Amino acid sequence: MIRDHALIDELLAARALDGLDDHDAAVLERELATHGDCDECRRLETQHAEVAGMLAFALDPRPVSDEMADRILSQSRTELTTTDPAAPAAAAPPDALAARRDARLVRWQAAFGVAAAVALVLAIILATDAGGPNVPGSVVVAFDGDAPGEVALTYTPGEAGALLWATGLPDPGPGNVYEVWMFEGDQPVRSACLTPDDGAVAAYLDADLSSAELMAVTVESAACPDAPTTDPVFTAELDTSIQ
Amino acid sequence: MRSIEPAGPRDEDLLRRVGAGDEQAFRELFSRYAAVAHALAFRLVRQAQVAEEIVQEAFLAVWRNPDRYDGARGSVRSWLMGTVHHRAVDAVRREQAQRRRIEQAAGLGPGIVEDPIDEVLAAIDLPRERKLVRSALGELPDEQREVIERMYFEGLSQSQIAERTGLPLGTVKSRTLLAMRRLRAAIGEDSR
Repeated sequence: MIRDHALIDELLAARALDGLDDHDAAVLERELATHGDCDECRRLETQHAEVAGMLAFALDPRPVSDEMADRILSQSRTELTTTDPAAPAAAAPPDALAARRDARLVRWQAAFGVAAAVALVLAIILATDAGGPNVPGSVVVAFDGDAPGEVALTYTPGEAGALLWATGLPDPGPGNVYEVWMFEGDQPVRSACLTPDDGAVAAYLDADLSSAELMAVTVESAACPDAPTTDPVFTAELDTSIQ
Repeated sequence: MRSIEPAGPRDEDLLRRVGAGDEQAFRELFSRYAAVAHALAFRLVRQAQVAEEIVQEAFLAVWRNPDRYDGARGSVRSWLMGTVHHRAVDAVRREQAQRRRIEQAAGLGPGIVEDPIDEVLAAIDLPRERKLVRSALGELPDEQREVIERMYFEGLSQSQIAERTGLPLGTVKSRTLLAMRRLRAAIGEDSR
């Protein structure tokens, strides 16, 4: 069957430039799903992504400190050391990345605006009241994803409960929510259904992460299904050696 | 078709070595693209510290998860710049939302937006790829270039561009697609 790719072409062009509005992003996802395993869709996506990526080279390079590569590599080593199960927890070096992300959380709170900042504070209070994790000393895990926005989770290994927060999330679409899952092996366990406020979410997850290997976020109907029905938009691997 | 791959090992080979934990390969990739990534992030967020953090986070993600790159979906450098661009645009939109709230609270209208086109196109002594891309941008009709500029270099969405320029949203969309097609023809479908 010959399919018309005019709309997909137009939407993929805008998405490659990160200029797609939320509504059109949903339209694109729907169209792509309709086309299924579509070579032409992939070809168009690749072409637009390639052109968009090249646009950066129009700019005059802005030198970065040579030390940045060292910092990246050393951060990674620090994380490995911190999460080494052989290392005593009390003697573990401070997790530079987590500390930096905690600082970033403060900036995010500023960026959220008052309503979301209040929601975040409420979530922390709820977590504390529930005997959940305290932010200092906890593990901070950043989610990876191709969708716009940032999602992170903080929890204390060995204790129930976690705080999840996110910024810059696109509207999940009319009648949809973001659903958070934790995976034990291949088995998804529903954690929470969340509706962002101006792209921001802060929530306490009443969940035991001790056996979770992977966290994922999908877009689901507001009915919050018991199992994911769409591909994850964000995922985060949990280090089970420190649970 | 044009090939403007830097001299030395191919990016794809470097990334494969990064996947095997080769720090030297990572440093080579970093030295090839960090300065452009930094320019892109700074162009969007306009704050040196935030731009540096975006670049650092993006390359940290590369070091941790090089297998996220899919060779069937384009070149390494486009993937890298796409990663940086996503992160920078996220930062811009968060900041825009915050500014909008402040402006609404203070009863102010949107601020004056400077025209970035001349800044991007003003160039001397260009390396080959920069010359190629700038030339491609320069050959676009003004109205198409403006849309690309505002979307890619300012981080505006299509509806935001329509709002700021007073153009119908459909016009912004069609100009985006026409511009991307022209750029593809000028830069090459496969510049890897």
